[in-house]
Amino acid sequence: MPKVTIDNKVYEFEGRPKLLQFCMEHGIEIPYFCYHSAMSVPANCRQCLVKVGNPQVDRATREPVLDDDGNPVIQYFPKLQTSCSMDMTDGLVVHTHRTDELVARAQRDNLEFLLANHPLDCPICDQAGNCPLQNQAYKYGPEGSRFEFDKVHKPKKIELGPRVMLDGERCINCTRCVRFTSEISKSNQLTIIERGVKNYPLTPPGVVFDEPYSMNVIDICPVGALTSKDFRFRARAWEMSKTPSIVTGTSRGSNCYYWVKDNEVMRITARTNVEVNGYWLADVDRLNYRKFNDARPLGPDMVSEGARVSTDWDGAYERAATLLRGVSGDEVLFIGSAHASVEDNYLLMKLADHVGASAPVYIPHVEAGSGDDWLVTDDKAENAQGCERLGMHPVDETVVRARLDSGAIKLVYVMDEDPVASGLFTADQLKSVDVVLHYYNTTNETFPVANVSLPAATIVETIGTFVNDQGHAQRVRPVKAIQSMNRSLMMETGLSRQDRHATPFDKWSKAENKVNCQPGWVTIPEIASRLNLDLNYKSPKAIMAEIESSNPAFSGATYDAMGLTGARLAEVGTTV
Amino acid sequence: MEQKKVESNAGNWKEYTRVLLPPVRDLHRLDVYEKQGGYSALRSVLKGDKWDPKSVGDAVKSSGLRGRGGAAFNAGLKWSFMPPVDERPRYLCCNGDESEPGTFKDRQLMEYNPHLVFEGILIAAYSMSITTTFIYVRGEYADWIKHMEGELKKAYDKGFVGKNIMGTDFSTDIVIHKGAGAYICGEETSLMESLEGKRAYPRSKPPFPAAYGVFGMPTTINNVETLACVPLIIDRGADWFAGIGAKTHAGPLLYGISGHVNRPGVYEYPSGMLMTDLIYDVCKGMRGGKKLKAVVPGGSSTPVLRADMIEGVCMDSDSLRAVGSMLGTGGMLVMDEDTDMVKWLRRVSHFYHHESCGQCTPCREGTGWLEDLVGKIDDGEGNLRDLDILIDLCYQMEGRTVCALADAAAWPVRYTIDRFRSEFEAKCRASHVATGDLQIA
Ligand SMILES: Cc1cc2nc3c(=O)[nH]c(=O)nc-3n(C[C@H](O)[C@H](O)[C@H](O)COP(=O)(O)O)c2cc1C
Ligand code: SF4
Ligand code: SF4
Ligand code: FES
Repeated sequence: MPKVTIDNKVYEFEGRPKLLQFCMEHGIEIPYFCYHSAMSVPANCRQCLVKVGNPQVDRATREPVLDDDGNPVIQYFPKLQTSCSMDMTDGLVVHTHRTDELVARAQRDNLEFLLANHPLDCPICDQAGNCPLQNQAYKYGPEGSRFEFDKVHKPKKIELGPRVMLDGERCINCTRCVRFTSEISKSNQLTIIERGVKNYPLTPPGVVFDEPYSMNVIDICPVGALTSKDFRFRARAWEMSKTPSIVTGTSRGSNCYYWVKDNEVMRITARTNVEVNGYWLADVDRLNYRKFNDARPLGPDMVSEGARVSTDWDGAYERAATLLRGVSGDEVLFIGSAHASVEDNYLLMKLADHVGASAPVYIPHVEAGSGDDWLVTDDKAENAQGCERLGMHPVDETVVRARLDSGAIKLVYVMDEDPVASGLFTADQLKSVDVVLHYYNTTNETFPVANVSLPAATIVETIGTFVNDQGHAQRVRPVKAIQSMNRSLMMETGLSRQDRHATPFDKWSKAENKVNCQPGWVTIPEIASRLNLDLNYKSPKAIMAEIESSNPAFSGATYDAMGLTGARLAEVGTTV
Repeated sequence: MEQKKVESNAGNWKEYTRVLLPPVRDLHRLDVYEKQGGYSALRSVLKGDKWDPKSVGDAVKSSGLRGRGGAAFNAGLKWSFMPPVDERPRYLCCNGDESEPGTFKDRQLMEYNPHLVFEGILIAAYSMSITTTFIYVRGEYADWIKHMEGELKKAYDKGFVGKNIMGTDFSTDIVIHKGAGAYICGEETSLMESLEGKRAYPRSKPPFPAAYGVFGMPTTINNVETLACVPLIIDRGADWFAGIGAKTHAGPLLYGISGHVNRPGVYEYPSGMLMTDLIYDVCKGMRGGKKLKAVVPGGSSTPVLRADMIEGVCMDSDSLRAVGSMLGTGGMLVMDEDTDMVKWLRRVSHFYHHESCGQCTPCREGTGWLEDLVGKIDDGEGNLRDLDILIDLCYQMEGRTVCALADAAAWPVRYTIDRFRSEFEAKCRASHVATGDLQIA
């Protein structure tokens, strides 16, 4: 296999990778800005310079030439080379800043140039604390600056489009944003204008940067030149925790980070998963996070003597159990949820089975024609595949409406859904029956007619598994804390937080903004136990382990296997 | 002082007969050009039995023709980098962007002998199986573009360009493209981006144009003057060409001489002329009898030479390299004793600052910084440390960028300071912050 020597260490490689890419994959840090694994290589930032050479070969004998000590003589390129554009070849010898003073100096020099006209307004910059320029300047840059002239002034506060703002002065002209629109999203809505040191990206005349993926340029901008209109100036990077998970509102399960401060979700950014979403997120998937913060219930409640009263969790469990006890199995309609995890739906199926009801149905959320051929899907629910693989099916509206109207259904048990808003039933129709409701937000239109309502943990407050439209099973982790923490949540939260015990900036352990809700894998076993069904698992992980081993449609989907990037499940006959 | 007589590499230049710009009235007209034997080289290449594509390329290679666009690369060798013919189109670019300050010789060819350029292109196209040639001319040359378009049309009408040229099965097209006006468009890959309708950002190389050129297709690029030499090589033979002027840089050369000489202009002579012959003989000496102070041999980016450095120096790449400069485009800037070298450098630095495409960091940031510092010194506000910073910045720019513009910007700074340091120091000393310390009022 071909070999490369980097900083005196030998590595084997296959194919013809770019040197910088190879180094990134092997934990050899080289500072860089313009390179992006998914885009063309303009080699314009000049930060990634390294010294490169090849062993000298004797023309006649084709043998390597050796020096007096018997070491091969290396013929170095006369100029330093940009590692991002360097094709690796067998025998290549590379020196980074670690083993070559000239390389270290070149990197330092380049940072001096980059900072010369940079406004250095880190104290008010959204990117500060999470900024490649800042980080690399600290690590590899010069101590001070010799630049003593007026900095170049460029337009600031430019509204490129409805969601993205530009500060022209912070831009280091890496062209990543422009390349994104020309090579990835193909909207071509950005270009570089002006020349030389006055350069900055802008929309062509008459064009608005409003493509549905525009916010990705904020993620890939190596400085704070591109900011989110929604997020800018709302929090500093170090005030937030950043937890890997998946987005909602799409069946693609695009990977993301949730940025949380004081138990409030502040923003969502893309997380790389080449099998699912690559490096990208749709704008809609980033901006739908307010539902996790706003209009959340204060706690469980129920109707008592005609009035809605709040109750404690035990009271709510008891009421739900009582309602279930009061009807026969075929009088209950269980509605599961394509928004809920595999684990929660699985437990609901067990409960339905225990009381003699038919299997839960789920409400589909397909909006035909609303998707694209990229990350926005027609199906707006996260887990329809998971439901199908469990053996659940979309609700047959005509049948259940007729049964409800005829009085055959006496109790509707709804988990994490809103049958009124989705048009399955009207609120009036539901007034004639009892309703048990697990729900996320007080805007839930079924909530007013529920007899007992249990606030449910959302995808950012729970642990569970979701299967995307391609059969990719992925775990979610608690991103923010809820009021009553249990052991499983505590363990996972600890692992996903950078600051395990909260900081003065992010008081996540304080009560503020914690919602009084519970995951389905807590509430359903509680209700089940009151009906003499033991659904107490050690953790959601144990639930999934059982599903994985008993249902071939989930074969391979253990928590360990899913890890951070998920596991691809085998195709099954069902597609949504 | 006794002067040692040095032989010019140009030999007996006074007997030289012009071939690129012969003194023929209305030579730009197709009928006149043909009467002078024009297009006979193309005819013999296409219809005679002496030539095939490879032998044409070999002849150009052995003639020793080196690129006249600045880098002086062997033209035939460059042609041989083209990959074998396949189903893809293949392009040739004729670089008429001519933007380096001090350079104005391609314009003469476009005006007075456009058909020689076309013929050279057609022969090159035959040799490399080119589908289409783009003549990229700087936008400011609007008049010459129009002029050439008229002549090109005549050549098309005569069947010298286009389908089945001269009745053979060889077809190739020529397109004249008007540049959008930036110095950087003359850099080869930037020119190609510009042709494609994109922003003229030079490409990172490799891949080189032969592998990935215009629209990603195999492409060769040559300067106008380079291509104009080709019909001469075919007509009169590679040996004839190789015998003209400097051995390692053979052929006729257009010297564009400007500045403080009595008769500035474009002169055709063999390569390897003595600089002193060009200044004192060809250009009839210094204006107003002034003393020579400095010469920039080949366009503003080539390192400046002091008057005392040019004795016995010939205008060819090897001779100039030996004294620490370059032939570049052969555009000589001559400066007399009254020239303020700091001001000259300030003007040159302003040019490169203005023309940096801004793609890569050292050039984008460095060119402006250089101009700022030189301006500071020129304004009498500089100190000695600024000279050190200037040299440091040159080091930080040279050889670390996508294209050679950063080098072109750094060299004048480095060498003008190096060769005229006392002038810079004098301006620094006069400065009120000459100590190099910050003064607090
Ligand atoms: C910044 C820059 C500007 C250039 N401008 C020109 C130009 O105006 N005309 C030209 O012929 N070559 C120019 N060149 C050189 C070209 O890149 C290229 O080397 C040349 O056209 C090749 O032709 P030749 O081999 O026939 O000389 C420039 C190079 C650089 C780096
Ligand atoms: S705005 Fe950001 S991504 Fe775009 S070119 Fe400037 S630094 Fe690069
Ligand atoms: S060296 Fe200057 S002109 Fe050349 S690509 Fe870089 S920024 Fe542009
Ligand atoms: S990452 Fe290599 S030049 Fe920018």
